[in-house]
Amino acid sequence: MKNSGAVLILTFITKLISQAAGVSPPGKPRLTSCRSPEKETFTCRWEPGDDGGLPTTYALYYRLENSETVYECPDYRTAGENSCFFNKNDTSLWVNYNITVVATNALGKNISDPVEVDVAYIVQPNTPENVTAVVVDDDQGPFVKVSWEKPRTADTRSGWITLLYQLRVKQEKDKEWEEYDAGRQKSYRVFSLHPDKEFMVQVRCKPDHGFWSEWTQTTYVKMPNYIPRERSLWIIITIFSVFIVLILTWTLNVKRNSVKLCLLPPVPGPKIKGFDKQLLKNGMSEEVFNSLVIQGFPPTTDYENLLVEYLEVYDNEEQELVLDGKDLSEDCIKSKSPSDCDSGRGSCDSRTLLLEKCIDGREGSGSDQHHYSQHGETSWASTESSECQGLEPGSPESSDGRVKTWPVVFSSPQPHHHYQVGAVKPVYHSVPEILNHSSPHAMPINYHQLHHQDIPQQEGRFSKPVCRHSQSYNQFNLDGVDTHALGVSPSRSLEYVEVQRVNPENILLLRPLSDPNHEPEGSDYSGEDYSKVKEVTSNNILLLQKDTSHQCVDDYSQADQCTTQQPPHPCKPVVHQSNSGMPQEGMWVTGNGYVDSTVLMPSY
Amino acid sequence: MKKATVLQVCVAFVLCSQQAVTGSPVDCPDQDTAGTSCTISLEKLLERAVQHADLIYRISEESKLLFDEMLISFGMNLHIPEGTMCAPKTVPVPMSRNEIQQISDKWILHSILILVQFWIDPLVEVQASLENYKSAPSALLTRNKWISTKLMSLEQGVLVLIRQILGEGGLLLGGPEEKSDRFVSSDMLETVRRDYSVIYCFRKDAHKMQTFLKLLKCRQIDKENCSYF
Repeated sequence: MKNSGAVLILTFITKLISQAAGVSPPGKPRLTSCRSPEKETFTCRWEPGDDGGLPTTYALYYRLENSETVYECPDYRTAGENSCFFNKNDTSLWVNYNITVVATNALGKNISDPVEVDVAYIVQPNTPENVTAVVVDDDQGPFVKVSWEKPRTADTRSGWITLLYQLRVKQEKDKEWEEYDAGRQKSYRVFSLHPDKEFMVQVRCKPDHGFWSEWTQTTYVKMPNYIPRERSLWIIITIFSVFIVLILTWTLNVKRNSVKLCLLPPVPGPKIKGFDKQLLKNGMSEEVFNSLVIQGFPPTTDYENLLVEYLEVYDNEEQELVLDGKDLSEDCIKSKSPSDCDSGRGSCDSRTLLLEKCIDGREGSGSDQHHYSQHGETSWASTESSECQGLEPGSPESSDGRVKTWPVVFSSPQPHHHYQVGAVKPVYHSVPEILNHSSPHAMPINYHQLHHQDIPQQEGRFSKPVCRHSQSYNQFNLDGVDTHALGVSPSRSLEYVEVQRVNPENILLLRPLSDPNHEPEGSDYSGEDYSKVKEVTSNNILLLQKDTSHQCVDDYSQADQCTTQQPPHPCKPVVHQSNSGMPQEGMWVTGNGYVDSTVLMPSY
Repeated sequence: MKKATVLQVCVAFVLCSQQAVTGSPVDCPDQDTAGTSCTISLEKLLERAVQHADLIYRISEESKLLFDEMLISFGMNLHIPEGTMCAPKTVPVPMSRNEIQQISDKWILHSILILVQFWIDPLVEVQASLENYKSAPSALLTRNKWISTKLMSLEQGVLVLIRQILGEGGLLLGGPEEKSDRFVSSDMLETVRRDYSVIYCFRKDAHKMQTFLKLLKCRQIDKENCSYF
């Protein structure tokens, strides 16, 4: 007991003395890491503790699992200072290693904490090798292709370990790296790097289970100075368009006048012969109009010399629009038997534009036809309902070859006429032909619009069916099928047909004025019938004569009362509505009875 | 007296505490520590063993192909009749599903071990022999070397597996005394023939090893769903 006490005290004192002297047993070493670069060998490194002021030696000992045998590190040198290298023979993938480091000096020793090592999980490959970064030029723009090789020690060929690669890029001045994962590839393309800048590239790798390797040494790559493609294209486009704009502007400037003419056509001034604008401007209105007065007009020659010729239009044999100036009778149109080709004539004394049959038929048929017939009587052309056996528009053969003159009204004083009739007496203009032309154009309804013309002198001469002349509108429906149009027409009562043109064969082409509300001034309308061509003037204008001898009722509904033979009365420029439904279709009657056909031309 | 003893013990303890070996608990990667050492889990062991066997088989195929090319380049045409030159069958191969179901893990492990231990030496010899060839392709040499290395590693693994699964101690077969003797022949053709047969037959056995290990792994890890074969 005394001995042990003495021993203890001595030990204690020794310790104190040694501490006072500044020497001590070594501090505890620490194993920092054990790493295997290829899963076949591994290296353990430690960090020495305080050496206690005395030379200290370190030794690594390891134990395999489930075995008590302690082995010492086989190789202290290969891996450098404070390390232990285990070669292939000493490395086993099947057992854990229990590793400790012992620091020994003169005063004692110290043992580190043990570390268990499973070789398969401590794999940290070496860095990839031969990192190259080249600039590759492409249509889309240049990019950098980075390529590298696997670390030499890694056995990826057999599949012993598989490596995943990662690279990072940044400019010198950037703080953050841009990282990219390359998977198992050994190359990578980096796009969208800024032009004309230098970039740093680094690569590292990692096995499926294990640690990332260190980054490689930096590889530098410089991007060329290029303009991004999209931008250059836009620049070119912009310049081009500016150029084009300049050229256009200059051209417009040069052709200023003609452009102005094109866009803003001058309003035609009055072009009346003898009309002096200047005088008007000067305010001498009296003199202005004086020049317009034609001496000796209206002509007072005898009317016998005036041949009024009518255009007889037949749709088919059943419908005949007959206008025959010569034989205008005062009879109304009587209903004729369908077999009577001469339909128009018989009843209204030959050339009437009535569709006798149609009228008959119409009466029997629906109301629209009835209406139609009412107007038909007053109309020039008869449009046909289906009863009239399907008007074939313009079946010339159906017509009995009669002379059909189509009264076309042109206002002669108006220089602004659209058409010129080719022949003076286009008596044989067959309306059906016209209709033929026009109907294929899918004009279900062709209406012929007659304008009143104030030719008062001629009335008596013309046989005219009373009733129809009361209707100054010429209706000519070529399309018999289009009954509903007929039906419409009563309400509108008038579909105006305008002469569309005269084609070289001297055929008048009619087209309907479909919009009854077209002419604003059309409210005027006289009850006169202008279905008769008075004459053809020298410049091939058909003057329609107003047939005022029969002043029929202004109402379509009373049209069939025409048969009652209303007494003819002189034409007068009566303005009334033939039909409430058509306010605007009237003709514009100027002061002297002339109809301004221009107004009535369709303005569409 | 007693007090003094206790005091001494305490002091001794304090003094010696610095030098005491502290058995701190070890943190095992994925296992609850039962003491101061961990063991690698069975699953991982089997996985590694299967990986070994897979790679060994693959590389042995490659080395056989390389050897064939070499023979062609030599102008030799060795017809190895099926099975004649291979090592005697110490390990019967189960043929049918029934048989497979009847064999035990123990049998599997032992068979694998036998196979592995059988081939370690011949491969080393072949390696030495190949180095003597005039123009053996280096790829063949590296591969052969690789196989030898990995085969030895696999042997260790199988031993560990046996220890773990079967609980047996280190089992080292005395080895088939039927060890093939050092085949030294001056006849080039014979040498080549023997080398070829080693490589050829090893390839077959490597496939056996791989299959057994996969079966074993399947049985051990995926006990219910093992519909291998």
